[in-house]
Amino acid sequence: MVEITETLDCMGEVCPYPDVKSKRKVKKMKSGEILEILVDYPLSAERIPETMKNLGHEVVSVEKTDKSAWKIILRIK
Amino acid sequence: MEMFYIQLISGLLVGILFGFVLQRGRFCMNSAIRDIVLMKDYKLIKSVALALLTCMFGFGFMGLVGMVTFNPKSLTLFGSILGGFVFGLGMVLAAGCASGTTYRVGEGMMGSLVALLGLALGAAATGAGTLSGLKSALQSINYGPVTLFGALTKWTPLFSLILGILGLGATFYFWVLKEIKAEREEFFDFSDMSEKIFKKGWSWYTTGYLVGLINIIAWPLSAAAGRNYPLGITAGWAGNLKFLTTTTTDSPTAGLSWISWLVIGVILGAMIASMIAGEFKLRTPRDGKTILLQLVGGFIMGFGATVAMGCNIGNLLSGIPQLSLGSIVASIGIVLGCWLMAFLLFREKDE
Repeated sequence: MVEITETLDCMGEVCPYPDVKSKRKVKKMKSGEILEILVDYPLSAERIPETMKNLGHEVVSVEKTDKSAWKIILRIK
Repeated sequence: MEMFYIQLISGLLVGILFGFVLQRGRFCMNSAIRDIVLMKDYKLIKSVALALLTCMFGFGFMGLVGMVTFNPKSLTLFGSILGGFVFGLGMVLAAGCASGTTYRVGEGMMGSLVALLGLALGAAATGAGTLSGLKSALQSINYGPVTLFGALTKWTPLFSLILGILGLGATFYFWVLKEIKAEREEFFDFSDMSEKIFKKGWSWYTTGYLVGLINIIAWPLSAAAGRNYPLGITAGWAGNLKFLTTTTTDSPTAGLSWISWLVIGVILGAMIASMIAGEFKLRTPRDGKTILLQLVGGFIMGFGATVAMGCNIGNLLSGIPQLSLGSIVASIGIVLGCWLMAFLLFREKDE
Protein backbone atom coordinates (compact mmCIF):
# COMPACT_ATOMS: atom_id res chain seq x y z
CA MET A 1 0.00 0.00 0.00
CA VAL A 2 1.38 3.32 -1.01
CA GLU A 3 1.32 6.23 1.37
CA ILE A 4 -1.06 8.92 0.20
CA THR A 5 0.28 12.45 0.34
CA GLU A 6 -2.93 14.24 -0.54
CA THR A 7 -6.54 13.45 -1.35
CA LEU A 8 -8.64 15.34 -3.88
CA ASP A 9 -12.34 14.71 -3.28
CA CYS A 10 -14.40 15.35 -6.41
CA MET A 11 -17.48 13.38 -5.39
CA GLY A 12 -20.64 15.03 -6.67
CA GLU A 13 -18.72 17.30 -9.00
CA VAL A 14 -19.95 17.63 -12.56
CA CYS A 15 -18.06 17.71 -15.80
CA PRO A 16 -15.42 19.19 -16.22
CA TYR A 17 -14.56 20.09 -12.60
CA PRO A 18 -12.95 16.74 -11.65
CA ASP A 19 -10.67 16.92 -14.69
CA VAL A 20 -9.77 20.57 -14.24
CA LYS A 21 -9.23 20.28 -10.49
CA SER A 22 -7.00 17.24 -10.74
CA LYS A 23 -4.92 18.91 -13.42
CA ARG A 24 -4.44 21.96 -11.20
CA LYS A 25 -3.68 19.80 -8.19
CA VAL A 26 -0.86 17.82 -9.76
CA LYS A 27 0.79 21.01 -10.93
CA LYS A 28 1.17 22.06 -7.29
CA MET A 29 2.53 18.75 -6.03
CA LYS A 30 6.13 17.60 -5.80
CA SER A 31 7.77 14.75 -7.65
CA GLY A 32 7.23 11.34 -6.06
CA GLU A 33 4.24 12.42 -3.99
CA ILE A 34 1.08 10.33 -4.14
CA LEU A 35 -2.28 11.86 -5.01
CA GLU A 36 -5.56 10.11 -4.39
CA ILE A 37 -8.54 11.34 -6.43
CA LEU A 38 -12.13 10.39 -5.56
CA VAL A 39 -14.69 10.75 -8.37
CA ASP A 40 -18.21 9.55 -9.06
CA TYR A 41 -18.50 10.81 -12.60
CA PRO A 42 -17.88 8.00 -15.14
CA LEU A 43 -16.35 10.12 -17.90
CA SER A 44 -13.80 11.66 -15.52
CA ALA A 45 -12.96 8.27 -14.02
CA GLU A 46 -11.83 7.16 -17.45
CA ARG A 47 -10.33 10.40 -18.61
CA ILE A 48 -8.31 11.52 -15.59
CA PRO A 49 -5.99 8.47 -15.70
CA GLU A 50 -5.50 8.98 -19.43
CA THR A 51 -4.76 12.68 -19.09
CA MET A 52 -2.33 11.98 -16.27
CA LYS A 53 -0.52 9.31 -18.27
CA ASN A 54 -0.15 11.80 -21.11
CA LEU A 55 1.25 14.33 -18.67
CA GLY A 56 3.85 11.77 -17.63
CA HIS A 57 2.54 10.89 -14.17
CA GLU A 58 2.29 7.28 -13.08
CA VAL A 59 -1.20 5.89 -12.60
CA VAL A 60 -0.71 3.53 -9.66
CA SER A 61 -4.27 2.23 -9.57
CA VAL A 62 -7.87 2.91 -10.56
CA GLU A 63 -10.29 1.15 -8.27
CA LYS A 64 -14.09 1.09 -8.47
CA THR A 65 -15.10 1.49 -4.85
CA ASP A 66 -18.88 1.63 -5.10
CA LYS A 67 -21.73 2.20 -7.52
CA SER A 68 -20.40 4.95 -9.75
CA ALA A 69 -17.48 5.75 -7.44
CA TRP A 70 -13.81 5.45 -8.24
CA LYS A 71 -10.49 5.95 -6.45
CA ILE A 72 -7.58 6.95 -8.65
CA ILE A 73 -4.05 6.88 -7.24
CA LEU A 74 -1.24 8.74 -8.96
CA ARG A 75 2.48 9.10 -8.40
CA ILE A 76 3.61 12.53 -9.45
CA LYS A 77 6.34 12.72 -12.05
CA MET B 1 -54.98 7.02 -32.37
CA GLU B 2 -52.99 4.50 -34.37
CA MET B 3 -50.40 7.18 -35.14
CA PHE B 4 -50.06 7.79 -31.41
CA TYR B 5 -48.84 4.24 -30.88
CA ILE B 6 -46.53 4.31 -33.90
CA GLN B 7 -44.92 7.46 -32.49
CA LEU B 8 -44.72 6.00 -29.02
CA ILE B 9 -43.16 2.65 -29.94
CA SER B 10 -40.77 3.80 -32.67
CA GLY B 11 -39.70 6.96 -30.83
CA LEU B 12 -39.17 5.16 -27.57
CA LEU B 13 -37.15 2.33 -29.13
CA VAL B 14 -34.83 4.63 -31.07
CA GLY B 15 -34.47 6.77 -27.94
CA ILE B 16 -33.49 3.79 -25.79
CA LEU B 17 -30.88 2.76 -28.34
CA PHE B 18 -29.56 6.32 -28.58
CA GLY B 19 -29.45 6.76 -24.80
CA PHE B 20 -27.64 3.46 -24.37
CA VAL B 21 -24.94 4.45 -26.87
CA LEU B 22 -24.60 7.98 -25.44
CA GLN B 23 -24.04 6.60 -21.94
CA ARG B 24 -21.62 3.84 -22.94
CA GLY B 25 -19.66 6.17 -25.20
CA ARG B 26 -19.84 9.22 -22.85
CA PHE B 27 -20.85 11.09 -25.98
CA CYS B 28 -21.25 14.72 -24.96
CA MET B 29 -20.72 17.54 -27.42
CA ASN B 30 -20.22 20.06 -24.63
CA SER B 31 -17.19 18.11 -23.42
CA ALA B 32 -16.11 17.45 -26.99
CA ILE B 33 -16.05 21.11 -28.03
CA ARG B 34 -14.93 22.52 -24.70
CA ASP B 35 -12.02 20.13 -24.24
CA ILE B 36 -10.40 21.16 -27.51
CA VAL B 37 -9.35 24.31 -25.67
CA LEU B 38 -9.65 23.30 -22.01
CA MET B 39 -8.01 19.88 -21.80
CA LYS B 40 -6.40 19.70 -25.25
CA ASP B 41 -8.24 16.40 -25.57
CA TYR B 42 -9.53 15.56 -29.05
CA LYS B 43 -11.06 12.12 -28.63
CA LEU B 44 -14.65 13.21 -28.18
CA ILE B 45 -14.54 15.72 -31.03
CA LYS B 46 -13.17 13.00 -33.30
CA SER B 47 -16.11 10.90 -32.21
CA VAL B 48 -18.47 13.73 -33.17
CA ALA B 49 -16.74 14.06 -36.55
CA LEU B 50 -17.15 10.35 -37.28
CA ALA B 51 -20.83 10.52 -36.32
CA LEU B 52 -21.33 13.50 -38.65
CA LEU B 53 -19.59 11.83 -41.59
CA THR B 54 -21.51 8.59 -41.06
CA CYS B 55 -24.74 10.61 -41.16
CA MET B 56 -23.60 12.40 -44.33
CA PHE B 57 -23.02 9.10 -46.04
CA GLY B 58 -26.29 7.56 -44.83
CA PHE B 59 -28.47 10.62 -45.40
CA GLY B 60 -26.97 11.15 -48.86
CA PHE B 61 -27.63 7.55 -49.81
CA MET B 62 -31.18 7.53 -48.44
CA GLY B 63 -31.90 10.87 -50.10
CA LEU B 64 -30.69 9.64 -53.49
CA VAL B 65 -32.72 6.43 -53.46
CA GLY B 66 -35.76 8.32 -52.20
CA MET B 67 -36.02 6.80 -48.74
CA VAL B 68 -36.03 10.26 -47.17
CA THR B 69 -36.62 13.79 -48.43
CA PHE B 70 -33.98 16.32 -47.41
CA ASN B 71 -35.41 18.92 -45.05
CA PRO B 72 -32.60 21.34 -44.11
CA LYS B 73 -33.20 24.08 -41.54
CA SER B 74 -33.59 27.65 -42.73
CA LEU B 75 -30.81 30.18 -42.40
CA THR B 76 -31.76 33.39 -40.60
CA LEU B 77 -29.55 36.46 -40.48
CA PHE B 78 -29.38 36.88 -36.69
CA GLY B 79 -31.17 33.82 -35.38
CA SER B 80 -28.79 31.13 -36.63
CA ILE B 81 -25.54 32.61 -35.34
CA LEU B 82 -26.89 34.25 -32.17
CA GLY B 83 -29.08 31.30 -31.24
CA GLY B 84 -26.14 28.96 -31.66
CA PHE B 85 -23.80 31.24 -29.73
CA VAL B 86 -26.21 31.60 -26.80
CA PHE B 87 -26.77 27.84 -26.83
CA GLY B 88 -23.00 27.36 -26.58
CA LEU B 89 -22.75 29.70 -23.59
CA GLY B 90 -25.61 27.87 -21.90
CA MET B 91 -24.30 24.37 -22.37
CA VAL B 92 -21.08 25.06 -20.47
CA LEU B 93 -23.14 26.42 -17.54
CA ALA B 94 -25.53 23.48 -17.75
CA ALA B 95 -22.54 21.09 -17.82
CA GLY B 96 -23.92 19.29 -20.84
CA CYS B 97 -25.39 19.84 -24.28
CA ALA B 98 -29.04 19.02 -24.94
CA SER B 99 -28.35 15.33 -25.52
CA GLY B 100 -25.64 15.14 -22.84
CA THR B 101 -27.96 16.65 -20.26
CA THR B 102 -30.73 14.24 -21.22
CA TYR B 103 -28.66 11.08 -20.99
CA ARG B 104 -27.06 12.13 -17.69
CA VAL B 105 -30.50 12.30 -16.11
CA GLY B 106 -30.63 8.59 -16.88
CA GLU B 107 -27.34 8.13 -14.98
CA GLY B 108 -29.02 9.68 -11.95
CA MET B 109 -27.39 13.10 -12.10
CA MET B 110 -29.97 15.37 -10.53
CA GLY B 111 -28.09 18.54 -11.50
CA SER B 112 -28.72 17.57 -15.10
CA LEU B 113 -32.41 17.06 -14.29
CA VAL B 114 -32.52 20.68 -13.14
CA ALA B 115 -30.75 21.73 -16.36
CA LEU B 116 -33.30 19.72 -18.33
CA LEU B 117 -36.21 21.53 -16.67
CA GLY B 118 -34.51 24.80 -17.56
CA LEU B 119 -34.08 23.63 -21.15
CA ALA B 120 -37.76 22.71 -21.52
CA LEU B 121 -38.90 25.97 -19.92
CA GLY B 122 -36.55 28.10 -22.01
CA ALA B 123 -37.57 26.36 -25.22
CA ALA B 124 -41.29 26.62 -24.45
CA ALA B 125 -41.06 30.27 -23.39
CA THR B 126 -39.18 31.11 -26.59
CA GLY B 127 -41.29 28.96 -28.88
CA ALA B 128 -44.71 30.22 -27.89
CA GLY B 129 -44.42 32.25 -24.70
CA THR B 130 -43.02 35.46 -23.28
CA LEU B 131 -39.86 35.35 -25.40
CA SER B 132 -41.54 34.42 -28.69
CA GLY B 133 -41.57 38.08 -29.82
CA LEU B 134 -37.80 38.27 -29.45
CA LYS B 135 -37.43 35.01 -31.33
CA SER B 136 -39.58 36.25 -34.22
CA ALA B 137 -37.56 39.47 -34.38
CA LEU B 138 -34.27 37.55 -34.50
CA GLN B 139 -35.58 35.22 -37.18
CA SER B 140 -37.26 37.94 -39.26
CA ILE B 141 -34.66 37.97 -42.03
CA ASN B 142 -34.98 34.44 -43.33
CA TYR B 143 -33.12 33.03 -46.35
CA GLY B 144 -34.98 29.73 -46.35
CA PRO B 145 -33.46 26.22 -46.43
CA VAL B 146 -30.28 27.07 -48.35
CA THR B 147 -27.48 24.51 -48.43
CA LEU B 148 -23.72 24.73 -48.65
CA PHE B 149 -24.06 24.27 -52.42
CA GLY B 150 -26.90 26.75 -52.97
CA ALA B 151 -30.59 26.03 -53.17
CA LEU B 152 -31.91 22.61 -52.20
CA THR B 153 -32.18 20.41 -55.30
CA LYS B 154 -32.53 16.71 -55.92
CA TRP B 155 -28.76 16.58 -56.20
CA THR B 156 -28.09 17.88 -52.69
CA PRO B 157 -28.04 14.31 -51.30
CA LEU B 158 -25.33 13.45 -53.83
CA PHE B 159 -23.07 16.15 -52.39
CA SER B 160 -23.69 14.73 -48.92
CA LEU B 161 -22.88 11.24 -50.12
CA ILE B 162 -19.63 12.31 -51.78
CA LEU B 163 -18.48 14.33 -48.76
CA GLY B 164 -19.45 11.42 -46.51
CA ILE B 165 -17.44 8.88 -48.51
CA LEU B 166 -14.36 11.11 -48.73
CA GLY B 167 -14.56 12.04 -45.06
CA LEU B 168 -15.13 8.51 -43.83
CA GLY B 169 -12.24 7.26 -45.93
CA ALA B 170 -9.84 9.94 -44.72
CA THR B 171 -10.78 9.69 -41.04
CA PHE B 172 -10.60 5.91 -41.14
CA TYR B 173 -7.14 6.00 -42.69
CA PHE B 174 -5.66 8.76 -40.54
CA TRP B 175 -7.41 8.24 -37.20
CA VAL B 176 -9.16 4.92 -36.77
CA LEU B 177 -6.69 2.59 -38.46
CA LYS B 178 -3.87 3.92 -36.31
CA GLU B 179 -5.91 3.36 -33.18
CA ILE B 180 -6.87 -0.18 -34.18
CA LYS B 181 -3.25 -1.04 -35.00
CA ALA B 182 -2.07 0.31 -31.66
CA GLU B 183 -4.63 -1.79 -29.83
CA ARG B 184 -4.48 -4.74 -32.19
CA GLU B 185 -4.41 -7.47 -29.61
CA GLU B 186 -7.17 -5.97 -27.58
CA PHE B 187 -9.22 -5.21 -30.68
CA PHE B 188 -9.26 -8.77 -31.96
CA ASP B 189 -9.68 -10.28 -28.55
CA PHE B 190 -13.30 -11.34 -28.54
CA SER B 191 -13.32 -12.91 -25.10
CA ASP B 192 -15.14 -10.93 -22.42
CA MET B 193 -17.32 -9.26 -25.04
CA SER B 194 -20.10 -8.66 -22.56
CA GLU B 195 -17.63 -7.07 -20.17
CA LYS B 196 -16.44 -4.78 -22.93
CA ILE B 197 -19.95 -3.88 -24.09
CA PHE B 198 -21.72 -3.49 -20.78
CA LYS B 199 -19.06 -2.59 -18.22
CA LYS B 200 -16.34 -0.51 -19.85
CA GLY B 201 -16.66 2.80 -21.67
CA TRP B 202 -16.60 2.41 -25.45
CA SER B 203 -13.85 3.69 -27.69
CA TRP B 204 -14.45 7.02 -29.38
CA TYR B 205 -14.64 5.55 -32.87
CA THR B 206 -17.15 2.81 -31.97
CA THR B 207 -19.32 5.47 -30.37
CA GLY B 208 -18.98 7.87 -33.30
CA TYR B 209 -19.98 5.30 -35.92
CA LEU B 210 -22.88 4.04 -33.79
CA VAL B 211 -24.30 7.51 -33.08
CA GLY B 212 -24.22 8.16 -36.83
CA LEU B 213 -25.89 4.82 -37.55
CA ILE B 214 -28.69 5.49 -35.07
CA ASN B 215 -29.37 8.84 -36.69
CA ILE B 216 -29.59 7.11 -40.08
CA ILE B 217 -32.12 4.61 -38.73
CA ALA B 218 -33.97 7.38 -36.92
CA TRP B 219 -34.85 9.53 -39.92
CA PRO B 220 -37.08 7.15 -41.94
CA LEU B 221 -38.73 5.96 -38.73
CA SER B 222 -39.39 9.53 -37.62
CA ALA B 223 -40.72 10.38 -41.10
CA ALA B 224 -43.05 7.38 -40.97
CA ALA B 225 -44.41 8.81 -37.72
CA GLY B 226 -45.18 12.13 -39.38
CA ARG B 227 -42.01 14.09 -38.62
CA ASN B 228 -39.59 14.39 -41.56
CA TYR B 229 -36.34 15.00 -39.69
CA PRO B 230 -33.56 12.94 -38.09
CA LEU B 231 -32.77 13.07 -34.38
CA GLY B 232 -33.38 16.15 -32.26
CA ILE B 233 -33.69 16.76 -28.52
CA THR B 234 -34.90 20.21 -27.56
CA ALA B 235 -38.20 20.16 -29.47
CA GLY B 236 -39.02 16.91 -27.68
CA TRP B 237 -38.76 18.47 -24.24
CA ALA B 238 -40.62 21.61 -25.29
CA GLY B 239 -43.34 19.37 -26.72
CA ASN B 240 -43.58 17.30 -23.57
CA LEU B 241 -43.89 20.44 -21.47
CA LYS B 242 -46.62 21.70 -23.78
CA PHE B 243 -48.40 18.36 -23.47
CA LEU B 244 -48.22 18.50 -19.68
CA THR B 245 -49.46 22.06 -19.35
CA THR B 246 -51.86 22.69 -22.24
CA THR B 247 -53.62 19.42 -22.94
CA THR B 248 -57.40 19.70 -23.06
CA THR B 249 -60.08 17.14 -23.84
CA ASP B 250 -60.34 18.63 -27.35
CA SER B 251 -56.69 18.04 -28.14
CA PRO B 252 -55.61 15.16 -25.91
CA THR B 253 -52.11 14.85 -27.36
CA ALA B 254 -51.10 18.50 -27.86
CA GLY B 255 -47.35 18.80 -28.30
CA LEU B 256 -46.74 15.06 -28.48
CA SER B 257 -44.87 13.65 -31.45
CA TRP B 258 -42.22 11.06 -32.27
CA ILE B 259 -39.50 13.20 -30.69
CA SER B 260 -41.38 13.46 -27.37
CA TRP B 261 -41.00 9.72 -26.93
CA LEU B 262 -37.48 9.75 -28.30
CA VAL B 263 -36.17 11.96 -25.49
CA ILE B 264 -37.88 9.86 -22.83
CA GLY B 265 -36.31 6.81 -24.47
CA VAL B 266 -32.86 8.44 -24.21
CA ILE B 267 -33.24 8.70 -20.43
CA LEU B 268 -34.44 5.09 -20.19
CA GLY B 269 -31.62 3.81 -22.43
CA ALA B 270 -28.97 5.64 -20.42
CA MET B 271 -30.53 4.37 -17.21
CA ILE B 272 -30.41 0.76 -18.42
CA ALA B 273 -26.81 1.14 -19.62
CA SER B 274 -25.59 2.79 -16.43
CA MET B 275 -27.41 0.29 -14.20
CA ILE B 276 -25.81 -2.66 -15.99
CA ALA B 277 -22.40 -1.00 -15.71
CA GLY B 278 -22.91 -0.16 -12.06
CA GLU B 279 -22.70 3.55 -12.80
CA PHE B 280 -26.22 4.53 -11.82
CA LYS B 281 -26.59 6.58 -8.67
CA LEU B 282 -28.90 9.43 -7.74
CA ARG B 283 -26.52 12.28 -6.97
CA THR B 284 -26.32 16.06 -6.87
CA PRO B 285 -23.51 18.54 -7.24
CA ARG B 286 -22.37 19.41 -3.73
CA ASP B 287 -22.41 23.11 -4.39
CA GLY B 288 -25.79 24.89 -4.50
CA LYS B 289 -24.33 27.41 -6.93
CA THR B 290 -23.67 24.66 -9.47
CA ILE B 291 -27.33 23.64 -9.48
CA LEU B 292 -28.42 27.25 -9.96
CA LEU B 293 -25.97 27.65 -12.84
CA GLN B 294 -27.27 24.46 -14.39
CA LEU B 295 -30.85 25.77 -14.27
CA VAL B 296 -29.84 29.08 -15.83
CA GLY B 297 -27.64 27.30 -18.38
CA GLY B 298 -30.48 24.98 -19.33
CA PHE B 299 -32.88 27.88 -19.81
CA ILE B 300 -30.35 29.72 -21.99
CA MET B 301 -29.83 26.57 -24.05
CA GLY B 302 -33.58 26.24 -24.57
CA PHE B 303 -33.76 29.85 -25.74
CA GLY B 304 -30.77 29.47 -28.06
CA ALA B 305 -31.93 26.19 -29.55
CA THR B 306 -35.35 27.62 -30.35
CA VAL B 307 -33.93 30.80 -31.90
CA ALA B 308 -31.41 28.78 -33.96
CA MET B 309 -34.13 26.22 -34.80
CA GLY B 310 -32.15 23.37 -33.31
CA CYS B 311 -29.77 22.26 -30.57
CA ASN B 312 -26.49 20.42 -30.95
CA ILE B 313 -28.41 17.40 -32.23
CA GLY B 314 -31.03 19.08 -34.46
CA ASN B 315 -28.48 21.44 -35.99
CA LEU B 316 -25.05 19.92 -35.57
CA LEU B 317 -25.69 16.18 -35.88
CA SER B 318 -28.80 16.20 -38.10
CA GLY B 319 -28.55 19.51 -39.96
CA ILE B 320 -24.90 19.64 -41.05
CA PRO B 321 -25.09 16.27 -42.85
CA GLN B 322 -28.00 17.73 -44.86
CA LEU B 323 -25.57 20.55 -45.71
CA SER B 324 -27.95 23.15 -44.25
CA LEU B 325 -26.21 26.51 -44.16
CA GLY B 326 -28.39 27.55 -41.22
CA SER B 327 -27.21 24.51 -39.26
CA ILE B 328 -23.58 25.12 -40.17
CA VAL B 329 -23.77 28.75 -39.02
CA ALA B 330 -25.61 27.75 -35.83
CA SER B 331 -22.96 25.10 -35.12
CA ILE B 332 -20.17 27.65 -35.51
CA GLY B 333 -22.10 29.78 -33.02
CA ILE B 334 -22.34 26.84 -30.61
CA VAL B 335 -18.57 26.25 -30.77
CA LEU B 336 -17.73 29.93 -30.22
CA GLY B 337 -20.20 30.31 -27.34
CA CYS B 338 -18.87 27.17 -25.69
CA TRP B 339 -15.26 28.35 -25.95
CA LEU B 340 -16.04 31.81 -24.60
CA MET B 341 -17.91 30.47 -21.56
CA ALA B 342 -15.26 27.80 -20.89
CA PHE B 343 -12.63 30.53 -21.05
CA LEU B 344 -14.57 32.79 -18.66
CA LEU B 345 -15.33 30.04 -16.15
CA PHE B 346 -12.14 28.02 -16.07
CA ARG B 347 -9.42 30.39 -17.18
CA GLU B 348 -8.07 32.36 -14.24
CA LYS B 349 -8.09 29.42 -11.85
CA ASP B 350 -5.92 27.44 -14.22
CA GLU B 351 -2.80 29.53 -13.75
